[in-house]
Amino acid sequence: MPRPWLLAIGLLCTGCSSNWQSALEPQGDVARHLDGLFWLFTITAVVIWLAVMLVLLLGLWRRARLPQAVADRRAGIAVGAAVAATVVIISGLTLASYLATRPLASDAPDALVIRLRGFQWWWEATYQDEAPDRGFLTANEIHIPVGRPVRIELAAADVIHSFWVPNLAGKQDMIPGRDNAITFTAQQPGIWRGQCAEFCGLQHAHMALLVVAEPPEAFDRWREAQIAEARPPADEVEAEGQRLLEAKACSACHTVRGTTAAGTLGPDLTHLGSRQYLAAGMLPMTRGAMAAWIADPQGVKPGNNMPMVPLTADELQALSAYLVSLK
Amino acid sequence: MTAKARAATLILLALTLAACKREERATRLDPPVAEALDKVAVLPVGIGGRPPEVYPALGSPYRSNAYQLSQGKRLYEWFNCRGCHADGGGNTGPALLDGWWRYGPDAVSIFVSIRDGRPNGMPAFRDRLTTEQIWQLTGYIQSMGATAISVAAPSRSDRMQSRPAENRAPATFPAPR
Amino acid sequence: MACLALAPAGVVWASDGGTAPEAQPGFSTLDQLTPANVGGLQPVASLPTGSRGAHGAAPVIAGDTAFILTPFPHELLALDLRAPGLPVKWRYRPAADSMAAGQGGGGRNAPVAEGGRVFFTTLDGHAIALDAATGVVLWDMRVADLAQGETLRAPPLVARGTVLLGNGGDDFGARGWIAALSAETGALLWKRYSTGPDEAVGIGPGFASAGQEANLGVTTWSPSAWQHGGGGVSGPILWDAAAGLVFHGTGYPAPWNPDQRRGDNRWTSGLFARALEDGAARWFLPVSPHDLYALGSTTPNLLLDREWQGRQRPLLVHPDANGHVYVLDRLSGALLSAEAFLPVNATEGLDPAQGVLRRNPAKQVRSGGTTTGICPAHPGAVGGAAAYSPRTGLLYIPARRLCMDLEARDTTFIPGTPFTGANLRQMPAPGLYPGALVAWDLGAARVAWTKDEALPLEGGALATAGGLVFYGTAEGVLKALDANTGAELWRFQAASGIIAPPVSYQGPDGRQFVAVLAGTGGFPGAAAGREIDIRDATAAEGRALAMRRLPQPPEAGGMLYVFALP
Repeated sequence: MPRPWLLAIGLLCTGCSSNWQSALEPQGDVARHLDGLFWLFTITAVVIWLAVMLVLLLGLWRRARLPQAVADRRAGIAVGAAVAATVVIISGLTLASYLATRPLASDAPDALVIRLRGFQWWWEATYQDEAPDRGFLTANEIHIPVGRPVRIELAAADVIHSFWVPNLAGKQDMIPGRDNAITFTAQQPGIWRGQCAEFCGLQHAHMALLVVAEPPEAFDRWREAQIAEARPPADEVEAEGQRLLEAKACSACHTVRGTTAAGTLGPDLTHLGSRQYLAAGMLPMTRGAMAAWIADPQGVKPGNNMPMVPLTADELQALSAYLVSLK
Repeated sequence: MTAKARAATLILLALTLAACKREERATRLDPPVAEALDKVAVLPVGIGGRPPEVYPALGSPYRSNAYQLSQGKRLYEWFNCRGCHADGGGNTGPALLDGWWRYGPDAVSIFVSIRDGRPNGMPAFRDRLTTEQIWQLTGYIQSMGATAISVAAPSRSDRMQSRPAENRAPATFPAPR
Repeated sequence: MACLALAPAGVVWASDGGTAPEAQPGFSTLDQLTPANVGGLQPVASLPTGSRGAHGAAPVIAGDTAFILTPFPHELLALDLRAPGLPVKWRYRPAADSMAAGQGGGGRNAPVAEGGRVFFTTLDGHAIALDAATGVVLWDMRVADLAQGETLRAPPLVARGTVLLGNGGDDFGARGWIAALSAETGALLWKRYSTGPDEAVGIGPGFASAGQEANLGVTTWSPSAWQHGGGGVSGPILWDAAAGLVFHGTGYPAPWNPDQRRGDNRWTSGLFARALEDGAARWFLPVSPHDLYALGSTTPNLLLDREWQGRQRPLLVHPDANGHVYVLDRLSGALLSAEAFLPVNATEGLDPAQGVLRRNPAKQVRSGGTTTGICPAHPGAVGGAAAYSPRTGLLYIPARRLCMDLEARDTTFIPGTPFTGANLRQMPAPGLYPGALVAWDLGAARVAWTKDEALPLEGGALATAGGLVFYGTAEGVLKALDANTGAELWRFQAASGIIAPPVSYQGPDGRQFVAVLAGTGGFPGAAAGREIDIRDATAAEGRALAMRRLPQPPEAGGMLYVFALP
């Protein structure tokens, strides 16, 4: 290989591309604190490591012959200085860590509250309002306003999951029977990907959460749209799709407000078409992917709890057209 | 031990370990198999019948496989069975724990009860569950009312304690009041 | 037909508008039986009803005929009171949809006799009118949709040519309603719901609201939850002829799991007063808003005109499932008193400003969690219809003193299947017998005396002008107590358990008779079917284990017993 060092640098750089799921590209206040702490520790550790290596190399290189007592005294001074430096540096790092993580626990009184419940293997998000009928459920994609603190109340429905959106905040476990919460503020608009950070079963790796940070006006518009009932079918095919949704096993597990489907075992589908991804980040929201998902959920995500409901080709076409239209 | 003997032992050990086969979990049936499993032959009285040929060909997994039993247990909770049958003790519907079966103890009767419903209040779940799910429920319900020990048991319950866990001794005939 | 008001020969469940001053369900104006002579009461007739189900309703006496409606699948029997042995004059068995058996036992379908006709409702959703003399069917209307989980499980009310009835099915997520049919033809006159927009509920200009927001039946629910919100009108409906109002309670909201229906859940678990002509609501009292324990407010009410704190007032007395006796002014809906008639810990007394009970935060219910030791337990502290005696001023409440552990879980809505989302274990209240007849001093708002029972009382009480209180126990013992002191004066062991109220009537020979229907269907007051296995602590909503000491001899089935002095 002609220039191995180029290859090494190239490989290293692949980790640095602009990334929607990276703790090294903080976009929220919490992530910034943690990012700052990360670099402080890393740089301190690197510097110390280099210093230690330097001293080691010096020690190996120069073999100064000194009388034993002088050598001992010098060694004593060196060790003493190292110990003192260690204590100072560690104390400094501890203080920095405390200062960086202290604001993470603070509770902003005007925070937007979202209740996130982890299921195997999807996320249920509940937005509540003072008026109970202005709350709504959605799944796998949450929108938050930029610049306003967001408090996510974490719960788990079956096993332990963990909320982790690295661009915005650190990890926080979602434990059945326990109330946890995490508060952060997105500082600019963007779309960030998070995922479950605690092994929760067969499809733990495919449990992605999308966080869309948008300006407050856009957020309010999205929220009003989500509160509304499902869009009525626009043509014959979609109407057939709605009829199938209500008549087949779909309605036993899924809710589409505005139809008779009121199942609560699976994600709420009232505005399914408004989301960017299907099946917790596995497939894009397109008609083809929707049909593929419904035709064989186990083929796409083996072991998940959605069964393969036998449908004819026409039924599948109508159903996928209808579901994608639920914007 | 000589070097040759040591090498031979190690090779033998490696070959033995290679024979260990992990359970290949089928997360869903192939559609033709699922369709075939729906074709139970029911006796004219509606009680009892013959399971489709594919059922024993599959190895009758719904009673003997812990994963299938666990799925059945999950479906039992998810599809409101508890509302009428409690955790096997009965309420509006008869008890499933006591080993006494209104329509017979065999799997086909239970499968047909769930799929097609029965008089006196059992709704039909044909349009709400897939064939495979109904078989999983059947296996679990049979295990609830079992009078013989089984090699498989569903996963432990994390809920309010209502009855002894499934992997303890099976149900015997109704306890005297 | 002589109006029952003019010949007060022992009125039961006949709601005749209260024209006679003392005519009340549960109170007999006959005074031939007294504490002195009741010890000599003897059985004079017994008649098997032919049904092995849960007999929750009393016979209805109209003139010289007694009407008995057996539990589902129903049969209506007309007995001739004039002849010895009470021969059956005619019997009628409507076609029955057996799927209704899934609605469970505990139904109290009973006939109502009015104007030469007999009206009754069936568990599979029919309202039927027969000619009282011949048993010929006049009309048969299917009013409730069983496929949606609706059922009819209470006696109708017949008032001014209108038949009023309400649905059950809260456990199936059926949206509650009350409907009025024409007594002549059975045609639907109006129908009002317990949840939903104001127009559907009947909230309009005549409603005593004082600045309430619009459409509370929608806004106090999670989105769309009101569409399967329960609140069925599954208890008796009462009528005040002078005021032109009907009074009824609404059942508990669906599902039991409260996290799936946030908000106050109007208009469930409360009391309504409605106009008879069109069902427009006059007032509503929320008794258990955002009901956490599936209690509901459908226990039978009483309409009394009596003195309250110094002045005569038209009262509505409602012993509620939450363990409190509510006293209201029935014209204005003002809450006058709400006091506990047995120890409860789910609530901590009335908040006078809000007019509702304060919740105990330690007995909060959350989805996925288990809350232990909640008193009172579902379905409530009142087991049977209470009786009031104007002579003693006491309200006799057959009570259940059970507590429960409740685990709330998410539940999915599939029409025709249960929509509850809660698992229960039950046990007797600590330190107390699980059943009691509580004599409540209405004026003083406190307990006068309590008669403990080994099992919860599921049948109503009967008070007589002669100074006696009759009631039956789940073990099948019919008892007579002194109405003032509670001393037991007489008892009779029936061959089956009793979950129905006794009735009293004057026979053609002038004697006072007491009659009761026995027969519990295998598990008293809890569920249809005898096949309950108590190794599951949540069987029969947890009550199977709590009542396991009930002796279970093979039941004789439904039996009518009639008693009189020799």
